[in-house]
Amino acid sequence: MTRMFTRFNVVVVTAGVIAAFSGGAIAARQQKPQVVNISVERFSFTPSEFKVKAGQPVEIRLRSDDTDHGFRILGTDVNVTIPKRGKGVATVVFEPPKPGRYTFECSKLCGAGHSFMRGTLIAE
Amino acid sequence: MFGIAPAMAQDAAPPADRTTGISGYMDFHFNKNEFEDARLDFHRFVLLVTHNFSDRIRFVSELELEHAFVEGPEEAGELELEQAYVDFLLSRGFNLRAGMMLVPVGIINERHEPPVYYGVERPFVDTVIIPTTWFETGVGVHGEVGRGWRYRAFVMSPLNAREFSAEEGIREGRQRGSDTNIGRPAFTGRLEFVGAPGLTAGGSFWTGRSGFEFRPRFDVPVTVGEADVRLTRNRLELRGQFAYVTVSNAAELNDALGRAVGVNPNIASAMRGFYGEASYRVISGARAGDVGLFTRYENFDTQYRMPAGYVPLEQFDRDAFSIGGTYWPDPDIAIKMDYSIIRSQSSAIDAPNSFNVGLGWWF
Repeated sequence: MTRMFTRFNVVVVTAGVIAAFSGGAIAARQQKPQVVNISVERFSFTPSEFKVKAGQPVEIRLRSDDTDHGFRILGTDVNVTIPKRGKGVATVVFEPPKPGRYTFECSKLCGAGHSFMRGTLIAE
Repeated sequence: MFGIAPAMAQDAAPPADRTTGISGYMDFHFNKNEFEDARLDFHRFVLLVTHNFSDRIRFVSELELEHAFVEGPEEAGELELEQAYVDFLLSRGFNLRAGMMLVPVGIINERHEPPVYYGVERPFVDTVIIPTTWFETGVGVHGEVGRGWRYRAFVMSPLNAREFSAEEGIREGRQRGSDTNIGRPAFTGRLEFVGAPGLTAGGSFWTGRSGFEFRPRFDVPVTVGEADVRLTRNRLELRGQFAYVTVSNAAELNDALGRAVGVNPNIASAMRGFYGEASYRVISGARAGDVGLFTRYENFDTQYRMPAGYVPLEQFDRDAFSIGGTYWPDPDIAIKMDYSIIRSQSSAIDAPNSFNVGLGWWF
């Protein structure tokens, strides 16, 4: 039980993957996802800007160095809790459906500078 | 936990997320200063309330009760509205903010939740040289560009030079957003780099004309310059900060205040402070929590440069050497202990050493 809590993992599968399961884009489902590791602390994501390929899944791994934070990509339903320091990693699999800039932010109030915690995922 | 959620392009966003959040932090202290009785103080009770009007418009507030009890003008405690602003989040690189805001100077002023810094009390430099918590009304812009270059630039209410002092420098000059004089606004800004894991390096300034109670006879331009760095590598964390304050026309200010109250306030024309801190998590990742130890050296001098004809009061040229530790049973709860040895350049008057124990938490 303890292990379950300490190895807290969250996976969000995107519409693109759903489409793949429904048939057609089998190749996309089989692609190895791009991986981005983000370290999180009051009040920053590092890196706060990164590039990925549109139409391909990206696995975003978020590890907090202090309290629990949130990771929300605006305009999508991606919104997960990043566990506190030492409590595990939050993992999000997101497939940007088209090229563009996707803003992400901390979605859990984490302190006086909470509003500064924003970043950009650039899909090309 | 496993979830499946569809994603949409931003131009097809779902309805705005109208949410209200509440959070806060508390600081409970035991302080034993040399030659004095020990004291127990519920130092801070802080509530943060936020509301998202939409994805792009957000309200943030921070209301702080200091020392648990308020009776008249600072007789016992203070009730302070430290933040109450609206953010208009236009893009990653450019956003607007207006209301009661934190001055973006120094490490602690914008990052002061108890679990995130060592020591029961905040560093002396962040108290005496940089008047943390420093907040004022104003408007401004902020954002982040490139790979982690973050900026703030605000127009804010100035300090009130009438409240400056030899011992605490500009600290009591904060107008704190209370029906402030904005005849000649102050400007403040910060540029920092947060683009490398574990590294935050920044510089900030504040400049404003603070002599509105003495104009047109003379004015009191004040400038604060500051640089800081935080570096974390595994269990090791290093911090450094340097701050320098200039007070122009300090001689005229001393003369005017001396005539008004009959005592020379001996306000300096320059004040300086710096510190270096090293800490190490000797226990990390244990079931019972983390333990960290730290040591910090500070120099803070509110009489660093005097106007012509004034002699510095050497008891206000101080050094502090602090050692201590923090136990985090949870990352949001900090049990702290430290001992500070404080010395001044005066051979007659010395600051007392202090032993402190604290319990702070964030929720």
